[in-house]
Amino acid sequence: MDPTIKDFESASAELEAIVKKMEEGDLTLEKALELYERGVQLSRFCHSKLEEAERRLEILNERGELRPAHAAMGLTPADESGQSR
Amino acid sequence: MPDLFDQPFEEPPVTREDVAPVRARRRIVTVSEVTAEIRSALESGFGELWIEGEISNCRVWNTGHVYFTLKDPAAQLKAVMFRSAYRYLKFKIEDGIHVVARGRLGVYEPKGEYQLVCEHLEPQGRGALQLAFEQLKRKLQAEGLFAADRKRPIPSLPRKIGIVTSLDGAALRDILKVLGRRHPNAHIVVRPVRVQGDGAADDIARALKAIARVPGIDVVIIGRGGGSIEDLWAFNEESLARTIAACAVPVISAVGHEVDVTIADFVADLRAPTPSAAAEMVVTAKEEFGARIDRLHGRLTAAMRSDIQRRRNVLYVLTSRRGLAGWHVRVALQGRHVSELTHALRRSATALVARRAREHQGRVNRLEANDVRRRLAAMRGRVGAADSRLHAIAGRVCERARARFAALTGRLETLSPLAVLARGYAVCWNDDRTAIIRQASAVTPGDRVRVTLHEGELDCEVRSAHGSDNQGL
Repeated sequence: MDPTIKDFESASAELEAIVKKMEEGDLTLEKALELYERGVQLSRFCHSKLEEAERRLEILNERGELRPAHAAMGLTPADESGQSR
Repeated sequence: MPDLFDQPFEEPPVTREDVAPVRARRRIVTVSEVTAEIRSALESGFGELWIEGEISNCRVWNTGHVYFTLKDPAAQLKAVMFRSAYRYLKFKIEDGIHVVARGRLGVYEPKGEYQLVCEHLEPQGRGALQLAFEQLKRKLQAEGLFAADRKRPIPSLPRKIGIVTSLDGAALRDILKVLGRRHPNAHIVVRPVRVQGDGAADDIARALKAIARVPGIDVVIIGRGGGSIEDLWAFNEESLARTIAACAVPVISAVGHEVDVTIADFVADLRAPTPSAAAEMVVTAKEEFGARIDRLHGRLTAAMRSDIQRRRNVLYVLTSRRGLAGWHVRVALQGRHVSELTHALRRSATALVARRAREHQGRVNRLEANDVRRRLAAMRGRVGAADSRLHAIAGRVCERARARFAALTGRLETLSPLAVLARGYAVCWNDDRTAIIRQASAVTPGDRVRVTLHEGELDCEVRSAHGSDNQGL
């Protein structure tokens, strides 16, 4: 991933600024293309972040340990979503 | 013989009468003895009491014991509630509340006071929990814990969602159902906890602290399903409220049903009416973020497209035949115009030069005609002639004047008075020689007169003057 993109919050803020600038127009062709390229990068980054989280369900126990929840507990979100579709 | 005072006073009076027969009726006891007797009479005589009254002068001591007065319009009763009992009271004791107090009467011997040792208090008119809820709500509100500006936004892209609730409750099931349906790739961390019963509030608070420390957690849902006010009570406890307020990540409270409102709801960053709703809120935040990115992307593409289209239009206008033809014509016209102008310029310049040359020649001719040297020679000639004539004239004039002068001089000599004087005539002047005296009447006797002779002058005095008809002269 582009190291100049810090996190999705700053990415979305930068994307917003770029869109505004482009909508105002008045740019050289080179600058417009450069901004567009950057904007597409940022947008892709945000989308990848949206999809990035993987489906997981964990239990934090009394000792502070994270353990995957057992399907037997009837708590896996996969079951629920599977049935609802 | 045993000491009189060693005898217990409970002993039958018969014995005492034997010892002190005279004052048989007098019985002397110590303060302690009588106080002890009062104490025993009060404690055994009344047993457990339920007393209704209003609380006033209440004060919580450092020891944790609470002292107050129960009163009604006519009487007051001092009361104490020891820490061990007060601890279990849900609400805080405060002046002005009407209560029913359960307890026993006791005597505080060092002060000789009797008081109610209160074991339990119930507010009158409403439940103790209701009162406790109101009291805590008022207190935390005054501290600003519910202020809108303390509320943090729910993250738009939660990386990990923490849930603090009972593992086997309906709340967890509902939350997971919603997340599974609308946010299938959610990363969820559950911290199971007891949500009701004694100490549940502290357990929940501890669980909240623990889950907030898990790396990547950026929102926590705490809650439970519906139940009675007692069941939900843990979410009304001060310790949990303060933990929520101090929590490092935003907290959504989801307790009971829509109608159930708890202190946790007030202090949380977001109140969800139900656990399902809490999950919806988290998902909505994420979906809104996705939608926002999509919208931005759409605008980005549209802006780029319209930018390119605009440039294309400009290019088209520049290169279209009509536009270029126009340019050609304009350039050609301009070129012709320029050459015409050049030609005209050259022509008019030549004409101008010729005209100027002619004018110049004319001036030269005129100038030669009016040559000043020739005019000067002519003038000189005329001046010379004039000069000669002037000399001739002047000589003649002088000659004539000289002749005339000589003639005049001759005549003048004949007229000179001096010549007359030489012939013997004299001239008589007045004294200052300013006037010639011609008549005798001009002087009076005594006047001085001067008489000029041919040689010399006389200074005379008139002796007499005679008449004007001097015929002698």
